Amino acid sequence: MNLGLYIHIPFCRRKCLYCDFPSVAGAEELYAAYTAALCREIAGKGGLLSACAVDTVYIGGGTPTVLPTECLAAIGRCLRQSVAVAPGAEFTVEANPGTLAGDKLAALRAAGASRVSLGVQAFDDKVLAAAGRIHTAAEAAEAAWTVRAAGFARVSVDLMYGLPRQTPAGFRAGLERAAALPVEHISAYGLKVEEGTPFAALAAAGRLALPDEEDEEAMYDMAAAFLPAHGFRRYEISNYARPGAECRHNMKYWRYEPYVGVGAAAHSFWQGERTANVADVREYIARVAAGGEATISRERPAPAVAMAEYAFLALRTAEGVSFAAFAARFGEDFLRRYGAVVDRLAGQGLVAADGDGLRLTAQGQKYGNVVFASFLPDG
Amino acid sequence: MATAHIRNFCIIAHIDHGKSTLADRLLEYTGTLSAREMSAQVLDQMELERERGITIKAQAVRLEYAARDGGNYMLNLIDTPGHVDFTYEVSRSLAACEGALLVVDAAQGIEAQTLANVYLALEHDLEIIPVINKIDLPSADPDKVKREIEEVIGLDASEAVLVSAKTGTGIDAVLEAIVKKVPPPKGDEAAPLKALIFDSHFDPYKGVIVYLRVMDGRIAPGMKIRMMATDKVFEVDEVGIFRPYLANVDELGPGHVGFLAASIKNVKDTRVGDTVTNAASPADAPLPGYRKVTPMVYCGLYPVETSDYDNLRDALEKLQLNDASLLYEPETSVALGFGFRCGFLGLLHMDIVKERLEREYGLTLITTAPNVIYKVYKTDGTMEQIENPSKLPAPQVIDHVEEPYVKATVIVPNDYVGSVMELSQEKRGEYKDMKYLDPTRVMIMYELPLSEIIYDYFDRLKSSTRGYASLDYELAGYRESDLVKLDIMLNGEVVDALSAIVHRDRSVYRGRQLVEKLRGIIPRQMFEIPIQAAIGNKVIARETVRAMRKDVLAKCYGGDITRKRKLLEKQKEGKKRMKQVGSVELPQEAFMAVLKMD
Repeated sequence: MNLGLYIHIPFCRRKCLYCDFPSVAGAEELYAAYTAALCREIAGKGGLLSACAVDTVYIGGGTPTVLPTECLAAIGRCLRQSVAVAPGAEFTVEANPGTLAGDKLAALRAAGASRVSLGVQAFDDKVLAAAGRIHTAAEAAEAAWTVRAAGFARVSVDLMYGLPRQTPAGFRAGLERAAALPVEHISAYGLKVEEGTPFAALAAAGRLALPDEEDEEAMYDMAAAFLPAHGFRRYEISNYARPGAECRHNMKYWRYEPYVGVGAAAHSFWQGERTANVADVREYIARVAAGGEATISRERPAPAVAMAEYAFLALRTAEGVSFAAFAARFGEDFLRRYGAVVDRLAGQGLVAADGDGLRLTAQGQKYGNVVFASFLPDG
Repeated sequence: MATAHIRNFCIIAHIDHGKSTLADRLLEYTGTLSAREMSAQVLDQMELERERGITIKAQAVRLEYAARDGGNYMLNLIDTPGHVDFTYEVSRSLAACEGALLVVDAAQGIEAQTLANVYLALEHDLEIIPVINKIDLPSADPDKVKREIEEVIGLDASEAVLVSAKTGTGIDAVLEAIVKKVPPPKGDEAAPLKALIFDSHFDPYKGVIVYLRVMDGRIAPGMKIRMMATDKVFEVDEVGIFRPYLANVDELGPGHVGFLAASIKNVKDTRVGDTVTNAASPADAPLPGYRKVTPMVYCGLYPVETSDYDNLRDALEKLQLNDASLLYEPETSVALGFGFRCGFLGLLHMDIVKERLEREYGLTLITTAPNVIYKVYKTDGTMEQIENPSKLPAPQVIDHVEEPYVKATVIVPNDYVGSVMELSQEKRGEYKDMKYLDPTRVMIMYELPLSEIIYDYFDRLKSSTRGYASLDYELAGYRESDLVKLDIMLNGEVVDALSAIVHRDRSVYRGRQLVEKLRGIIPRQMFEIPIQAAIGNKVIARETVRAMRKDVLAKCYGGDITRKRKLLEKQKEGKKRMKQVGSVELPQEAFMAVLKMD
């Protein structure tokens, strides 16, 4: 059985103004204790992690690269001891430009990492500053070259559209700069103003000047047209890659494959059960240090929910839902179950089916939520 | 118990003058319920009644009271609703009583509904005992209220009972006044049974529980009874009284207020206002019943899920068991599919029925904007009653249209007389009369189209008088009006459920307002939606709902699929309240937009 391993590093030098991911800024005093707890949790799962072939590892955040070299090295040692990382596994680390000083990249390589996902977000210093990013556009571009030079086989950059002060022209220039970097993978995410973030507070006060919807749509369309034309195939709604360079770890989420998450706020999906670890960093450390469980919630989706999840996750990808794979997993015929929904969505031009499977149309990608929600059971 | 020791009474009051609190205190004082059993508003058992602080259904309870004269009395309190919509319920309760407590707020004085209820009580020849409540308030002025009662209603208020239901002051005096002033019921124990049905409810185990007031004769389990109007015969299983929960007794005699159960499966067999008699030795003639209630407003009720149609029909049927004033019949709308056109006593009644259908029967419903009944006189000499605006015949076959008018009574501090008159004038009202209740309070009478009252008269009245005005109205017949049908088109298609009948002079203005309002209400969809208002073939206003540019979650964080799914579930839940009309999804508010315009 193949398994994905996700490791969460909930620290940043500074929180970006739009971010509602579980991470804390400026908590250096916790780095060592957190790393120890993380290693203890990984060791505790050693049975599972050595019995399965772990063919993807993903260290995400937060900003994993804010950790000092010795912490990164400790995580690497722990993985070697407790995890059966398969030969040829994809091993990604998320990194922020501006946090790659010294020998961190070497430490990550030594830990086994082969892929870096760089959080660039934009190639416009005004936009970066307005989003609370800690680096400039030039530093971001330089980081991509630095990572490449450090020997990583795969480099990805994240871009965002719909940020304050961003224009379609500026975004297009950013796409061009990203495509000219030594990268095989580009993600383009639309900004969503999430509750509880500084952006939400600014928006509530009427002081968040976002691009209008037409401009935001234009940026979305630009990414969808520009990147494939430059060799980056759109293999998921927000993800583009040169053939063969798709992120295999993220594909596990969309293909309903198992993964184990460790660290604060990490999520796992194993044998049909979804679990989540406690999000609070101090509480996570305390629980694990006391030899307790980091897991605070468990859910085993009912079959109707699981099938809906399967459908809406698979539909995010270019390959879509495979009827054969669906039948093999759930023992049910996809069209028999969702025929009426599929007919209605197809009538609206949002999905297209052939004999083998169902995929979103270009329109369906744009209005993905309309499609996804349709598969959920009435509740 | 001899009838000499029985008193049957009700409490009439304007909303918020403290009727339910006074009833609670009476229950407490007489030990009918222990302090442990007491919860506020004991008689308002329906969840909605408690939430809204109103009484919807008539309720009854027996109090046992040891009076100062040494006698033990049985006091039957029949609770009544205070809202104008439920005048019908009030009159049912009044017919079962010999006396009424008229509760007036010591600070507010007489309000419009106080008057309406007093007139009803006088019609029923009830002994009215004025009770001035809330005397503990700093702004209480009982003497002024007494003068009002004497001058406006013409009742002797010299012996008005002063109470504070809140603190319990004067509760004993109320009980004494009931014993002394309310006449005992007259009734002949030996005469054939005559009992008035004043309410009923359906119990899944016992069948219909019939609420009745015995006038003559006796009723006991085992007796064969006949319903005089429906001619149905049943054998009585149980009789009992209200404590306020149902408590069985051996028999009920003249003057008693109680219930019977007789394995009655169909509530239609026990019509409210009917007379129950002994099947073996029936009474010659039934008691005078109630006048048949006529709904004042109609609206369409449609299930959001078309598959819920049968459930809605069953729910309406069940609800009608406890609410004879609710009328419904099937109708079809091009936009909304199969549903029902329902008749209500008023807007509050409509609101309550809808809420009960949704809460108690788990339905999700679309309500169309309420409307009055129009009388359409056609060129061929026939008349048609129109309960649904979309059914208004083509203009060329209409000779003229009449709409219902009401006589509205507004009581207001004299500072606001100008605002009330201005508003009433704007609402096509015709001034009738004005009276000073005291140097600072004025009663103003207007005749107004009922449709304007439904539209926004009451809200505007409240806001233009800072909440001081009280309103009551009664139907005052039909009058000819220059009315036209206003149609709304979405994507070029007329949506019949959005049609309204409006006065010609206001039609263009209303059309413009309505499309503007709809533009704000209709959520953006994947395509642009033109909204047009038209009278006949003429488009008088147009707005556009712009298309939503995109709608997709960009990112899923670290495998947290549950969070993503919850967002989608929320989106789907939001859609549940939407009705698909053609290719457009409409929220409930869209159908009410025609009512809520500034």
